[in-house]
Amino acid sequence: MKNRSTLRIAEIRKENFDINTYRFNFDLKAKPGQFIMLSDLRGGEKPFSISDCTEDHFCITVKRVGEFTKRLFSCSPGDLLSIRGPYGSSFFISAGKVLLVGGGYGTPPLYFLAKHLLKNGAEVHVVNGARKAEELVFCEKFQKLGINYENTSECGRLKNSGTSIDLVEQAFRNNSYDFIYAAGPEMMMKNLQDKLGKLPYEFLLERYMKCGVGLCGNCTVDPLGIRLCVEGPVLSKALVEQLTEFGNYHREASGKRIYFMKTDKGKK
Amino acid sequence: MNERLETKFLGFKLASPLVLPAGVMGMSFSGLKISADLGAGMVTSKSLTLQPRTGHKGPVIAEFEGGILNSMGLCNPGIKDGLAEIDEFKEGSDTPVIVSVFATSSRDFIALTEEVNSSSADLLELNLSCPNVYDEFGIPLSASKDQVYEIVSSVKDISQKPVIAKLSPNVLNPAEIALAAEAGGADALCLINTVGPGMLIDTLMVKPILFNKFGGLSGPCLKPVALKLVYQAYSVVNIPIIGMGGISTGNDVVEMLMAGADIVGIGTAVYSRGIEVFSKINAELLQFMDENGYKSVITLPKLEKLDV
Ligand SMILES: Cc1cc2nc3c(=O)[nH]c(=O)nc-3n(C[C@H](O)[C@H](O)[C@H](O)COP(=O)(O)OP(=O)(O)OC[C@H]3O[C@@H](n4cnc5c(N)ncnc54)[C@H](O)[C@@H]3O)c2cc1C
Ligand SMILES: Cc1cc2nc3c(=O)[nH]c(=O)nc-3n(C[C@H](O)[C@H](O)[C@H](O)COP(=O)(O)O)c2cc1C
Ligand code: FES
Repeated sequence: MKNRSTLRIAEIRKENFDINTYRFNFDLKAKPGQFIMLSDLRGGEKPFSISDCTEDHFCITVKRVGEFTKRLFSCSPGDLLSIRGPYGSSFFISAGKVLLVGGGYGTPPLYFLAKHLLKNGAEVHVVNGARKAEELVFCEKFQKLGINYENTSECGRLKNSGTSIDLVEQAFRNNSYDFIYAAGPEMMMKNLQDKLGKLPYEFLLERYMKCGVGLCGNCTVDPLGIRLCVEGPVLSKALVEQLTEFGNYHREASGKRIYFMKTDKGKK
Repeated sequence: MNERLETKFLGFKLASPLVLPAGVMGMSFSGLKISADLGAGMVTSKSLTLQPRTGHKGPVIAEFEGGILNSMGLCNPGIKDGLAEIDEFKEGSDTPVIVSVFATSSRDFIALTEEVNSSSADLLELNLSCPNVYDEFGIPLSASKDQVYEIVSSVKDISQKPVIAKLSPNVLNPAEIALAAEAGGADALCLINTVGPGMLIDTLMVKPILFNKFGGLSGPCLKPVALKLVYQAYSVVNIPIIGMGGISTGNDVVEMLMAGADIVGIGTAVYSRGIEVFSKINAELLQFMDENGYKSVITLPKLEKLDV
């Protein structure tokens, strides 16, 4: 049985105007790609990817989007939160030359991954994208790792502007990679997938989660029926390629299908 | 699958006596499909209601030593979208499928039954026993034998599918309720739904863990209660029974069959043993039969009925 713990927030770091990192001094024993279910027991328990984890602490990095995350933004260090996990699958730790592609709050869990890849001797390149320059997160943290790091925003101001896919294409022209990792908006990963050809990859996917332990079926993906809270959220190329719903639709809290193109354009 | 595991239920041929029960993995066609592909002989949809429901706010699950507490709150996409998932499931599978429906009045149950009539569902299950919507709907219908009789008989009048009544363990007169469902014309019984409800407390935050405070228990702690209630029902009714509650191993299934169940639901064990639980238990059943000289599941003996 997996553990549930009630922990005090050790530190809150402001990453940008609507993204915070929360540190807990607790040995979670999580692997890169895994997530926790987090609750303040005031209505809402939500999944968040682990953005860093060592023997004495772990972090999650949260974007303020709705009721629950707004309440998290009014928390202070010392406040208690309830966590379950770590849950789900984790990234394969490759060797060789690898490229990490992150968008929005998808980037922080790739930082945790990058540390493990470096320990494994991989040469790590990172592409970090956001809609606006001021939305980019974890830039300094990646730069401190001493790796090949590029960021971009779709609207100006940075050295690079354009989508992360533009930067990926540039990186592909100058490098040959052994493994690609991505986390972020689903349409970003969908566009990326088209560029990857035969390259092996893993994506961190998201679906509406309730139980987090593989029972309720809310997070299953079609047509395989695998659960993103147990068999995911990190899926390999072989699995992603079979998903007819990837980049097409997802299921909301009631289980109703929501199509990306029609209603979710520009989400996250 | 092995033909020694084959069985029949209300005329449907099942490749295994194991059933995926309502509320577990049943939100999508693909969740039903993976369960069937991995060895469930029959699958059940999430309980569907006339309108979509997002369910309770989280936490909706709390794990503990004996199993789990849940207060999902009947989240489901509504009968129309839910049945579309069933139709998509049936396009790719011969496995019989039960559609579970939930309502609080005969009128709504009838409206749901009409929708199910025109779908590709094989059987209809009436969830008369959800313990998790007390604030909204009050005590489950299956607490009253008169209501059970009234709802089952009015659904039976119009249903073109066999009707299963899903009963609650949380009643004072379970045998009378089972008899009322049979008298109303139920083709089969399904029991038990979750027990309690119960509560768990976060001692640092001084709050119930579930946001709904209370939730139904499921998992290993239920098995003795489930066996007893199935045995009691088996002793008084003459219709088949889907037995469930804390069944996690091949030996548990044998116990449930001996208590009087015809087929057996595996819910919370999907969490404790993985979605492969169906193939694991099928293998354990075969092993039990080998070791004890039984040719097939249908030849496993039942307990002598209770003297009532
Ligand atoms: C595996 C996984 C990892 C995630 N990692 C992060 C992370 O590291 N940082 C981060 O900021 N966010 C992450 N999310 C998304 C995060 O869970 C939602 O932003 C959060 O639940 C929003 O809750 P809310 O009440 O503030 O907003 P709401 O107003 O309730 O919802 C806003 C949007 O958030 C999404 N959402 C809401 N509830 C859930 C839920 N239970 N499960 C999944 N998505 C939901 C929906 O798309 C919804 O449209 C992750 C989601 C998943 C599935
Ligand atoms: C997460 C969860 C959701 C459930 N949802 C429903 C439901 O919608 N309708 C229903 O009739 N029973 C529901 N149940 C009850 C199960 O179908 C089953 O009766 C009960 O869990 C006992 O079996 P188990 O111990 O094998 O899980 C649910 C159970 C769980 C754990
Ligand atoms: S969230 Fe319930 S099965 Fe994944």
